[in-house]
Amino acid sequence: MFKKILFATTASPSCDHAARVAFDMAKRYDSELTAFHVFGIPTRGFSQFVRDVRTGETVTFDDDYLDWVKEEMKNTYVRQLEIHQNCTIEAIHGVPHTEILRAARKKDVDLIIMGSTTREEDEGTYVYRSTTGSTLQAVTKAARCPVLVIGRPVASTWGGFSNIVFGTDFSRTADSAFLFAYKVAKTFGCTLHLFHAYDISAVHSGKIMEQDEIEDNMMEAREKMRKMYVPRMKGFDDYEIEIWEGIPYVEIVKFARENYADLIVMAHHTRKPSSEKALLGSTVEQVVLRATCPVASVNRPDKIKDL
Amino acid sequence: MAKKILIVDDDPNIVTYLEDFFGDNGYDTCSATDGSEAMAVVKKEKPDLITLDLEMPEEWGPRFYRKLVKEEEFRKIPVIVISGLTGSKYAIQKAVASITKPFDRDKLLAIVKDVIG
Repeated sequence: MFKKILFATTASPSCDHAARVAFDMAKRYDSELTAFHVFGIPTRGFSQFVRDVRTGETVTFDDDYLDWVKEEMKNTYVRQLEIHQNCTIEAIHGVPHTEILRAARKKDVDLIIMGSTTREEDEGTYVYRSTTGSTLQAVTKAARCPVLVIGRPVASTWGGFSNIVFGTDFSRTADSAFLFAYKVAKTFGCTLHLFHAYDISAVHSGKIMEQDEIEDNMMEAREKMRKMYVPRMKGFDDYEIEIWEGIPYVEIVKFARENYADLIVMAHHTRKPSSEKALLGSTVEQVVLRATCPVASVNRPDKIKDL
Repeated sequence: MAKKILIVDDDPNIVTYLEDFFGDNGYDTCSATDGSEAMAVVKKEKPDLITLDLEMPEEWGPRFYRKLVKEEEFRKIPVIVISGLTGSKYAIQKAVASITKPFDRDKLLAIVKDVIG
């Protein structure tokens, strides 16, 4: 498991939290790690110019610049590279998500690690942007392996995975996420929390639910959890089932915090049937931005079968 | 080894009936007549499943359940609530099932089999 990890990075401070997780995981699980940077192209099509991620300036792309960027990446991760020698640094120019996906496919990686967005919050604004970056969205949508997203500092994860929350709404797309969560839990001896948040957000639009209805639905969800997932965990008994009611992303983040979770696993989306078209689900997007532990988004079963 | 079921109920007829019924279906049983003594039985017998009455003279079922889940070793033991109280399904919502007396024994057995095999 996690034999090959692709860490997609800008090598700027916005990826620092993700870097800590990437190098820590690679060392702990003895993975082959690639720190991978793509120079974004500021214009459509192919171009001689790229945008420097640190200065934001447009620079002419040539071999000297490429070497310089690789050197800068080495300097940025100098301490991590000392500890973890089995890491290669790669830089390439192109459309970031296309190149990340291409590299992941070519190297046949088991996991992609990324930050949630490179844009800093605009100073002076009072509205929290609350969206993930477009590269992340495109990568999570099309990746054949799970994508581990680190949106905030995730100190809880130091020391490896031990406590996993699998957030589900029982949809078919959640199946691959379950399999991933279960395999990680089983391989590394973690506690697996099977968690469902019963959505009562309709109350804000005027639909008042009786408490009986809410609690009946929660009990039904508990039963569903037991029937749907428990039989698939033969011989594994370190799991717990929990159902909370509320706004799903809030409840998942709360639950993860209260239980000292070090990994949340969710399906990339649940509503739309096609993995090709669906956007990153709104619940998982908010969880990615708000949780204090890494969040794995799973969209396809391909790589999970072999883990 | 046969799975063991702890029956907690203050009605001796129910206890005897369930002991015979589970015994006939290949389960071992043990019993307690009140929530207050059930914890000691759990510690001694380490059951695989508990059927729990809600209303008992000394200590009610929910209070016993609260004590049970505080113990790391026992908190995952599945509980089936068997009670005559109305609305009993809301009393211990984490129970694997809530059954109202009088109950259908086949339905009970199906749940037990489903949960502990």
